[in-house]
Amino acid sequence: MAHCGGTNGSKLFTMVLYMAAACGAIPISDLLDRASQRSDKLHSLSTTLTQDLDSHFPPIGRVIMPRPSMCHTSSLQTPNDKEQALQVSESDLLSLVRSLLQAWEDPLVVLSTSANTLPHPAQSIISNKIQELQEHSKSLGDGLVVLSGKMAPGAQTISSLPYFGGNDIGQDRISKLINFNFLLSCFRRDSHKIDSFLKILRCRAAKMLPEMC
Amino acid sequence: MRKVILLLLLLCFTAHTRGKLHSPPAKPGLTSCRSPEKETFTCWWKPGSDGGLPTTHALYYRKESSETVYECPDYHTAGENSCFFNKNDTSIWVNYNITVVATNALGRAFSDPVEIDVVYIVKPNPPEKVTVTVMEDKGWPFLRVSWEPPHKADTRSGWITLIYELRVKLEEEIDWEMHLAGQQKMFNIFSLRSGGKYLVEVRCKPDHGFWSEWSSTSYIKVPDYFHREKSTWILITVFSTFTFLILMWLLHMNRHNLKHCILPPVPGPKIKGFDKQLLKNGKSNQIFSALVVPDFPPATSSNYEDFQVEYLEVYVRREQELVLEESKDLHNSCLKSESSTSDCDSGRGSCDSHTLLMAKCREAKEGERQTDRECSIVSLEMSSGRVKTWPSVFSPLPRYSSSPLDQQRQSYWDLCLSSKQPHLLNPPTPVCRELQAHSDVNISSIGHKRAPAGPRSPALHTTEYVEVQRVDNKDTLLLQPVVQGCGRMGGCFQMPHGEVYSKVKGVDSDNVLLLQREGMGEDRCPCVEQETNEVTGSCHKSCTVSTTQKPSGCIYTAVPVRDEMATMANGYVDTATMCTLHTC
Repeated sequence: MAHCGGTNGSKLFTMVLYMAAACGAIPISDLLDRASQRSDKLHSLSTTLTQDLDSHFPPIGRVIMPRPSMCHTSSLQTPNDKEQALQVSESDLLSLVRSLLQAWEDPLVVLSTSANTLPHPAQSIISNKIQELQEHSKSLGDGLVVLSGKMAPGAQTISSLPYFGGNDIGQDRISKLINFNFLLSCFRRDSHKIDSFLKILRCRAAKMLPEMC
Repeated sequence: MRKVILLLLLLCFTAHTRGKLHSPPAKPGLTSCRSPEKETFTCWWKPGSDGGLPTTHALYYRKESSETVYECPDYHTAGENSCFFNKNDTSIWVNYNITVVATNALGRAFSDPVEIDVVYIVKPNPPEKVTVTVMEDKGWPFLRVSWEPPHKADTRSGWITLIYELRVKLEEEIDWEMHLAGQQKMFNIFSLRSGGKYLVEVRCKPDHGFWSEWSSTSYIKVPDYFHREKSTWILITVFSTFTFLILMWLLHMNRHNLKHCILPPVPGPKIKGFDKQLLKNGKSNQIFSALVVPDFPPATSSNYEDFQVEYLEVYVRREQELVLEESKDLHNSCLKSESSTSDCDSGRGSCDSHTLLMAKCREAKEGERQTDRECSIVSLEMSSGRVKTWPSVFSPLPRYSSSPLDQQRQSYWDLCLSSKQPHLLNPPTPVCRELQAHSDVNISSIGHKRAPAGPRSPALHTTEYVEVQRVDNKDTLLLQPVVQGCGRMGGCFQMPHGEVYSKVKGVDSDNVLLLQREGMGEDRCPCVEQETNEVTGSCHKSCTVSTTQKPSGCIYTAVPVRDEMATMANGYVDTATMCTLHTC
């Protein structure tokens, strides 16, 4: 994955970029800049949500929490270090981003519904932030559609990552909290991946503007 | 025996040392793990008590997707009680489960496991190559701070995105001034203090990580830029000096006016004949002698009467002459030169009588000129000789009148003289009174002689009466002699032609008009008794109600008041109509 058409893809991307710039449309760098800002916001929200949840998390939950490898998006192959990430082509990176975002469309709904009845002192704050998460995710997804249209056809590929958790996250209070926390942690990681990939793409597209990176 | 004691001692010693020093190690604890560039990371732990025995610590970690436990690859790079994970051992978006184990001879101790993800523990190194320079913007200096990201952080590829913050303060200040610079690597600071020394520090933070430490302090001294301000001050000073000089010059030109305005001159003494110079220079004797004015105070009193107020100025003589010349048939004889008789009118209001004067005059003209009577115009000659009175045409001149009656008459005429100058009365008063006294006596004597006074009545006709015909517009009296007739009882005067006036004294309760006999006055109002024909001149008409004769008193004529009579302007009543009712 790391080496698949990396160099050729970057050259193609650059060519597309120049063409887009020549046409006078909104340059991709601007689009990517906006997208990365959106993803940055998304990740920040998830981080604060995690902190809010951890403020009253029962200590025992830490012990029996499921492992992050059990996230429904763990099957998606993503780079694990910098060298790997820098070798991925832009379209592939975008494809990954879009796939990840797509994978969280349904679980965010589950999170939102379960946040309404979450047995937690900061339930209302959490619920509001989940709502914001959904809005940002939706707008980012729409932007990425536009962005992928300006890129190579590889960007259109979206891997399907279905969520099998169902609507119910638990019966008792502890399991509810644990499941909610687990789901949120998965989202936090995936949002960080999205943000990182988009910022890599932004820096690559801003070659004419070195001060951006 | 000794051996046993030694063995016992040894056992005791070993037992003692064991209980005191040797124990399994205490649980260590992981303090922190940090990654400076999202490619490597380091974990630090804090060891517990070692239990008295040499203790070793080991860090074991396990990645989330496998069960393989790995030990820390590098215990030394990051220092004491640390474990450094290099790039090869670092995986991102992977949970690490890290545990530290402390081991000594007596046991082991495991720390609490810690789950970390490298992307969440990023704390970069401080920015590098911080440079501060002073630059000028249109003469005003500012600081330009520039830096570079830490060399390890890969911001070029976008792997790590850093945002920067710097802080500035003056050397003597305490509080820093913070500025967020975002992703830029250069920053300008304005509004500097001239000649101040500034300290600048910069730090950075990844988009989702921890703030770095502050960079090393950079010192910069701002040069003095007061010279630019000084030029402005010089300009202001020159301008104000110029203005000041102009103002001074204007003041100097107008100093006299100002002096008069602010300090008005004190008026000097204005004494007639006084020499100011003498006051300044001379001696006191000279000054005082100068003060003495030669003709002050005035010595003579010749003109003292000039200061007196005169109440009455009646210029009759000359006008009278003129008027009488016009009607010469009647008045010629009446005109005489003025005789200087003194004024001795002691309040007898007979001077107002027109009839008195004119009757006398007429008689003198038309009647038998038995005597060389003259209508003389008595001119009251005051000391100044300006006051004149009625033409007392019936004033008998002293020279012709020899009879005592004439003398009496003279007294009556004297009343015509104004008595309004009391001071003037003083000299002639004794004379006046004497005459009055004569009059009194004579009147009384007349009264007694009344009965046989009939034949003498013609002699009494020597009294001169002039009747005022009218007063013309020049305020001159036009006289006509009284027609002497005996239409009445003997000696009685005829009813004169023309109108005869009597002054109304008052009205009594029965609406009877009381007339005042025009006579010598109130106390002496010798009304003429027709029968006796004792005309002493004041009343030419006698209409008496009472039959008694009161020669020494006023006889008032009372007539019923009639409206038309009462409306006479000057209070005079036309007695012509009245007397028809009575026998006169």
